[in-house]
Amino acid sequence: MNFTLHIWRQENAQAQGRFETYKVSGISPECSFLEMLDILNEQLINDNIAHPVCFDNDCREGICGMCGLYINGRPHGNDDGITTCQLHMRKFNDGDEIWIEPWRAKAFPIVRDLVVDRSAFDKIIQAGGYISVTTGGVPDANATPVPKRLADMAMDAAECIGCGACVAACKNASAMLFVGAKVAHLAMLPQGQAEAHERVKKMVCRMDELGFGSCTNTYACEAECPKQIKRQNIARLNREWIKQLFAGNHKPE
Amino acid sequence: MDNNKIIKISSITKKLLVALFASFLLIFLLFHMTANLFILAKDGGDAYSAFCHFMGTNVFVKVFEVVLFGCLILHLCLASYLWFQNRRNRPVGYHKPSRTKTGKGSKLMMITGSLLLVCLIFHFYDFYFVKLNFVKGTYMVKTEDFMVSDPSMEVSEEAQQTFMQLINEGKTSKDMQWIREISDEQRDVLQAAFPEAEFEPDFYHMARQKFSVWHIVLCYLLFFAVVGIHIRHGFQSAFQTFGLNHYKYSRLIEILGVVYTWVVILGFAIVPLGVFLGL
Repeated sequence: MNFTLHIWRQENAQAQGRFETYKVSGISPECSFLEMLDILNEQLINDNIAHPVCFDNDCREGICGMCGLYINGRPHGNDDGITTCQLHMRKFNDGDEIWIEPWRAKAFPIVRDLVVDRSAFDKIIQAGGYISVTTGGVPDANATPVPKRLADMAMDAAECIGCGACVAACKNASAMLFVGAKVAHLAMLPQGQAEAHERVKKMVCRMDELGFGSCTNTYACEAECPKQIKRQNIARLNREWIKQLFAGNHKPE
Repeated sequence: MDNNKIIKISSITKKLLVALFASFLLIFLLFHMTANLFILAKDGGDAYSAFCHFMGTNVFVKVFEVVLFGCLILHLCLASYLWFQNRRNRPVGYHKPSRTKTGKGSKLMMITGSLLLVCLIFHFYDFYFVKLNFVKGTYMVKTEDFMVSDPSMEVSEEAQQTFMQLINEGKTSKDMQWIREISDEQRDVLQAAFPEAEFEPDFYHMARQKFSVWHIVLCYLLFFAVVGIHIRHGFQSAFQTFGLNHYKYSRLIEILGVVYTWVVILGFAIVPLGVFLGL
């Protein structure tokens, strides 16, 4: 298969970026999108044409959340519930023009080419996406009973891999689905109860400070989430926030 | 955390307030729509005018009116503020337009909202500003306001003629309690002679006059269509913002939103259409 690629090239965060056009040929339909980019980069290096295209990737099996490209107007490309590394060239037609852009958000500055700095997500987690426990002996597996249904729901929310597709897809660059998933999976478990009020307060305030937008309930995030995290988690976040507003009377630290 | 600001309102709280004010407006819309249906009653406007008189004079309604305008202004101020803030969160946009599958209405809230504001100003110009005496309209007054208690009071010839003209033209209600469809000039003449008389806007006849013109009817129908698009998304969006999303009831809320939207816009649309078609 042959493709014409329009790829966003940008030297660094400050530099002026632009689209460059490259042609790749002889691509197998079974090739993954990232492998196709590997082939392109090999060409660029071997033929000494340009600096290879920088893009984030790690596990290449859809569980690490590193890869993230905005392909032809959709985060992670034109398929549902997949990451970019799980996108295969058979999803395209021979001779297609493919536009590849980085995530666009104030909170995700471009590092180089298609690589963006997603440490804003880490900062939100650091603000409260954890439970404080004193380390010691490993507790018994069933010492804290959790009903199966709740455990499943918490697990569904905890599936979030923090890839940032929700922010990339949202017209407001809002991180509500990410924060919703992170707040919800702890809010549904007994271990998360003690710090529930403080957690949602700190995480939402951090989210606002970092320059993420507010939610307008468009649900583009849900449509593009590779782990298919549900909008119900955003509602749960709103619920936790309301609870915190009225019941979160802790002394500030 | 940034503790420099004394009052810090988070994005979620702002959204909650937008949804809260909007809920109030949604309830009002249903009320307004129901009241409008009286215009179609075949009683010469008795019921609708009695309702308007109550709405124009009751103390609780006046308080409610202030609350309503407060909600409207705060709703649009907060929503616009959030919109401008959201625009700043993606300084460089995408080259390729989004192909993510989402509802259209949800992305058009700012556009439909702005259109509604423009429509609302015209709607106020047509009706509400008459009540505030900003623009001229048609008026009604209680017949008893013309009872002369002081025999020495002189009533001008012109006022007497105007009064008799209104009576002869049959512009009284069936129970003779009200004189209606008084033009602006007639009001000025009568008011000069009877300073005590309290004139109220005659919304029934104003509506009937306006809705007999085809382009005004068309404008109002378009107005209701925009209302429909706006509340179609707004209704379920408010529930989501309040955190009321449930695996069982979310579908019901969605359906309720569609039903509500159609009931409201059809209820509104039937009045200008009905008047125009002579129902």
